[in-house]
Amino acid sequence: MKTLSLYQDRDSIIHKVDPISKLYYIGAAVLIPIILPTVSISFTCMLISILILTLGKVFKKVIPLVSFSFIILLSIIIIQGLFNKTNKTVFISLGSLTFYKEGLSYAFKICMRVINIICAFSILILTTKPSDIIEVLVRNGLSPRIGYVLSSVLQIIPQMVSTMDTIKDAQRSRGMETEGSLLMRMKAFIPLIGPVVMNSLISTRERAMALEVRGFNSKVKKSFLNEEFGYKYSIAIKITIILLLALAVIWRIIT
Amino acid sequence: MKKIVIKNLKYKYPLTEDLALKDISFQIDEGEFIGVIGQNGAGKSTLCQALVGLVPHFYKGAYGGKVLIDNIEVGESDINTLSTKVGIVFQNPFTQVTGSKLTVYEEIAFGLENFGLPQNEMRNRIDYSLELLDIYKFKDRNPFALSGGQMQRMAIASIIAMKPEIIVLDEPTSQLDPQGSEEVFKAIQNLCREKITVIMVEHKIEKIAKYSDRVMILSNGQLIDFDVPEKIFSRDDLEDYGVTAPAFTRICRGLKIKNKDTGLYPITIDEAYDLVVNQNE
Amino acid sequence: MSRITVNDLHFSYKETEEILRGIPLEFDGRSTAIIGQNGAGKTTFVKLLKGLLKPVSGDIFINSINTKNTTAAKLAKDIGLVFQNPNDQIFKNKVIDEVIFGPINIGMNKEKARINSKEALKAVGLHEKLNENPYDLSLSDRKLISIASILAMDTNIVIFDEPTIAQDYLGKERIKNIIKNLKSKGKLVIAILHDMDFVAETFERTIVFNNGKVLLDENTREVFSHSETLKKAFLELPHVTQLCQKLGFKDTFLTVEEFIEYKKSVVKNAK
Repeated sequence: MKTLSLYQDRDSIIHKVDPISKLYYIGAAVLIPIILPTVSISFTCMLISILILTLGKVFKKVIPLVSFSFIILLSIIIIQGLFNKTNKTVFISLGSLTFYKEGLSYAFKICMRVINIICAFSILILTTKPSDIIEVLVRNGLSPRIGYVLSSVLQIIPQMVSTMDTIKDAQRSRGMETEGSLLMRMKAFIPLIGPVVMNSLISTRERAMALEVRGFNSKVKKSFLNEEFGYKYSIAIKITIILLLALAVIWRIIT
Repeated sequence: MKKIVIKNLKYKYPLTEDLALKDISFQIDEGEFIGVIGQNGAGKSTLCQALVGLVPHFYKGAYGGKVLIDNIEVGESDINTLSTKVGIVFQNPFTQVTGSKLTVYEEIAFGLENFGLPQNEMRNRIDYSLELLDIYKFKDRNPFALSGGQMQRMAIASIIAMKPEIIVLDEPTSQLDPQGSEEVFKAIQNLCREKITVIMVEHKIEKIAKYSDRVMILSNGQLIDFDVPEKIFSRDDLEDYGVTAPAFTRICRGLKIKNKDTGLYPITIDEAYDLVVNQNE
Repeated sequence: MSRITVNDLHFSYKETEEILRGIPLEFDGRSTAIIGQNGAGKTTFVKLLKGLLKPVSGDIFINSINTKNTTAAKLAKDIGLVFQNPNDQIFKNKVIDEVIFGPINIGMNKEKARINSKEALKAVGLHEKLNENPYDLSLSDRKLISIASILAMDTNIVIFDEPTIAQDYLGKERIKNIIKNLKSKGKLVIAILHDMDFVAETFERTIVFNNGKVLLDENTREVFSHSETLKKAFLELPHVTQLCQKLGFKDTFLTVEEFIEYKKSVVKNAK
């Protein structure tokens, strides 16, 4: 694992779209269901996101992400179904537990929104390289220093993990058991913390010096080696999204 | 005008009691290859840091005297300005990788982007550095997927791309195998051909003897001697300063054969060979 | 006498890339240097000896115990390994505590552990810094502390992974003496090294690893007589050996002192 990222390298049209457009999309996908809080709107948004993910050939990768939130969603359904303040109409009774329609409907809406958000963010994360996302943010005003921290963390953490393995080996060589019972493994953890922390501090300091002498703190306006990520229709997309948002607001005001 | 002038440099790191550098003075000409030798703790790394401004600007501490790079006073300047004049390569190849770039090519661009260079200029410089360090074939590889020697050459290339006139190397081959070391020394020879001034701290004494124009001995924060390698390595008190002479020199000293013209011992294998062969005749 | 036996050892981290491709070795008691290019499999081999890795096929016997049947921690009382980077190991904030960690772990009684630790620190020249924080000391001192930590465990086999990196001349002489001392106590010393001069001056036997196999395995003097083979493996000869070969000597000289002695005796005989 060289870099920490969920990026999937595919040849799809969605991959060619620029990160800012995708960010616009996330904004719309989150805001429109809030402006027009009907189930059908939420459902439609979710379908659109799924369609885009499929176009991006990354739909399969969303499923583990959604299932990750499954437990939370399930608990929302249960709690709202049982205890929502507006519960009146019985939907189903399982033994001594009664689930009400209003609560379940409310929970359903929430679940829809959560899945929607996950799908929308996944469009960005699964189809855009982290370095491209960060570069776009820096071009648009994010401090290059923060941009550096974000992008270096993705590669340096895996490096640190492999250093941890070496440190573990060193302590095992001195008689410290790491295999065996849980208690043993917990005891084994303590001699690891010191070297890991010290190593990181020392490496960070050395790296900080190396960055300094390569102009990291230079006051000059930064330039970019790569061409700007351009997509022909990015302006069209952004305008469409803004129009849709405007439409949603108008609709809300009218009805 | 001398490229580097150091006058009465004194320095103490914060929270320490002793001076790391005690009244150092010397001058270096443009294009010279200077070897710096001495025991661990003698102040060699500190001197390197003083040449690029990390001392005093990064480390703070107590600083006295003057370091002049092309007449710019280091103490009054800042690291960013100095990095366009002097570059530094450290011992550990890993911690010189920024970690924020996915290819060697982009990694080398890092410093150039920070100085706002236009794209064309960047590409020219990166191509030049890749060729000079013979790592062009790795340009699309992930920096962490390189071997130690390749990573170190990438670090040197990253500094060279910033076109400094002086490059300081602090034990650049200490973590490398013989082949890696040789690659780095060859690359540095290429630099000298481009008239770049090189200052290198090294323990591989035979290599220092072979490549240096002049050699400096530091001990306990003081400058003991600064002369051509033949004179330095002919000293008989080297061990007092925690250093030793190249094997070839020690052989000839043991056999008491000197170069008749200079009265000094040889420092390279060829010189030693000539003298031993002539002695037999 | 400690013995290590390695039978047809194969190892790979990933199925597609075999690192060690059939290593047969016997370690008797001779101090042994392992040399070879980076990537030839030396560090992997040493980790296998130490039980940190298990062979994919083949066996390693440490004093007749098969490493597959035990753990690295259990082997620690028989075989010690000094890692390349001291920062990967040091975690206590007093030198003496760091050095005593290993001996205590392998079951030494506290008094003996304390005595051994102090002796070990004396051997590396740091006995006056018992109560200092290792991270306040220099990198080369920390390297010496990591060596002391293993010496204090008094194992019969001691392996060094690149002990001379970043050491100056005095540091190297000190390590040379430590190795010679261990040898005189009957310990088996194995070391991975890149410094050919150091190898020639210190070790009786040299094994050359190349591409996951053993290329040469003989007395050090014999190994350095194969200059063509070593060149193909991207290895250099010790400097003295280089000069003597250039001078046309058939014999392989390993140290400066040896050559000087020889020349002096030639002169004496001529008179």
